[in-house]
Amino acid sequence: MSDAKVNPPSQPPSGERRREAPDVVYSVLAVATLLALWVVASRPGMFRPGYVPTPESLGTTFLELLRDGYQGQPLRQHIQISLFRTLTGFLLGVLVGVPVGLLTGYSRRAGAMISPIMAFIRPIPPIAFIPMTVLYFGLGEVGKIVLIFFVSFNYVQANAQAGAANFPIAYRRAAQSIGLTKAQTFFRIILPGALPQIFTGLKVALALSWAVVVAAELVGAQSGLGFMISDAALLFRLPVVFIGIVLIGAIGLVLNLTLNFAEAKIVHWKGR
Amino acid sequence: MTGAAAAVRREAVAGSPKISFAGVEKTYATRGGANGGTLALDRFDLDIAPAEVLSIVGPTGCGKSTALNILAGFEPPSSGGVRVDGRVVTAPGPDRGVVFQQAALFPWLTALDNVVLGVKCRGEARELYEPKALRLLEEVGLKGFERHYPYQLSGGMQQRVQIARALVNEPDILLMDEPFGALDYQTRLLMQKLLLRLWEHFRPTILFVTHDVGEAIFISDRVIAMTRRPGRVKCELRVTSPKPRDYDFLSSTEFKALERELVLAVQSEVDDYA
Repeated sequence: MSDAKVNPPSQPPSGERRREAPDVVYSVLAVATLLALWVVASRPGMFRPGYVPTPESLGTTFLELLRDGYQGQPLRQHIQISLFRTLTGFLLGVLVGVPVGLLTGYSRRAGAMISPIMAFIRPIPPIAFIPMTVLYFGLGEVGKIVLIFFVSFNYVQANAQAGAANFPIAYRRAAQSIGLTKAQTFFRIILPGALPQIFTGLKVALALSWAVVVAAELVGAQSGLGFMISDAALLFRLPVVFIGIVLIGAIGLVLNLTLNFAEAKIVHWKGR
Repeated sequence: MTGAAAAVRREAVAGSPKISFAGVEKTYATRGGANGGTLALDRFDLDIAPAEVLSIVGPTGCGKSTALNILAGFEPPSSGGVRVDGRVVTAPGPDRGVVFQQAALFPWLTALDNVVLGVKCRGEARELYEPKALRLLEEVGLKGFERHYPYQLSGGMQQRVQIARALVNEPDILLMDEPFGALDYQTRLLMQKLLLRLWEHFRPTILFVTHDVGEAIFISDRVIAMTRRPGRVKCELRVTSPKPRDYDFLSSTEFKALERELVLAVQSEVDDYA
């Protein structure tokens, strides 16, 4: 044995040299596996006929829905009405919830008044209020929008309040020492300072608004994606139910991505 | 206010102190409110002359930041009072610029917007404040970084922005609460020299709080060492070497002697607690 071999240069373990597969490969594999399981499950003889629609039947039903609509209304209209109810209620909740939350976070007294009330209301599942809104506002649009507004307000207000209350004292002192008035401090320091937390609230509120609109449409609605899936289930039109669910999921995802995009643009300093 | 007006005002009060702490006490309420709370400052007396640079050193929790916060107007004293130009301090104001230790820049504003926010909100015209702010940013060494956001700047650069933000209001007084405490040693020395250069230019009265004895001696005309809580003035040293000073001052006989004396004074206050 020669001396050179006594202390061989260290070599990285072979595993480190192999290039790791990117994460997206694993994501694609998982989705493909799920789809494959579905194809197998939908084959005749696996379950009772009609219980698991085949991919082809979903495709043809989707084309039918696009062409003929559902129960006399175009598919586009069902989507639009669900989005209209959600976004109207959500935006109203934001318009009221952000100022109220900032105020209750900024002013100790305002916080003391509203906090116990909100602390009691917040844990109540929003769908528990559906019968009440039907009773007070009927089956029309108002009841649904009021319900969504209520859901949105709850989460937007809570997060805006937390954002304004857990404010670094150095910001407040810096604002005072450069001579800002109370109003200037509120609009130029407290509001932007609370934006990261406000966005957290917006994301929860929008996701819940979308969930609750579907729930509200299951009960006594004549349009919307929630109505479509509950009505189709009663008529045992399972492909329609499946398509409705996929649409609800896809639209929820788009709503969430839109807010994420807006957040990255507006709150560019978050987490940096 | 123009520089000339500031000079006139300074001259008017020559001979009398710029800042005067008289019998200042501060008690913080303790949990449950028993025993009358914690006494942070105990009959604190201190006069600071116009354009003097005064540092307060002392062990953690000795009340040095409390004294600064009371002068800034962030906290009211429990008894006694602080006067600036003979008037009792009741609230914060842009006449006393503050540089904080922690990141106190607004992260949603660029360096330039951070600097001008105060003057802008007071309704000053953009043609007036913007050139002034740009000049100040250049003077603190941030030319080319005006449109950067705080998270794009290093710790030292962020502190430079804070100094520019305080100076843009042309304050008579600069309050600095461990402003370089979070910086590395080399950057800290650089910032100390920058501060001396700025002092030469603007001649503000500076109250500088630090736990770094060497830093205090390097920049100050006078250094106060405080006792442990409840904080009181323990001893007072004068630094006679003329400002501005360079790094060679750090190895001078005067610096070494003062450093030794101050280290012993401060350390004797912490020994029992360490």
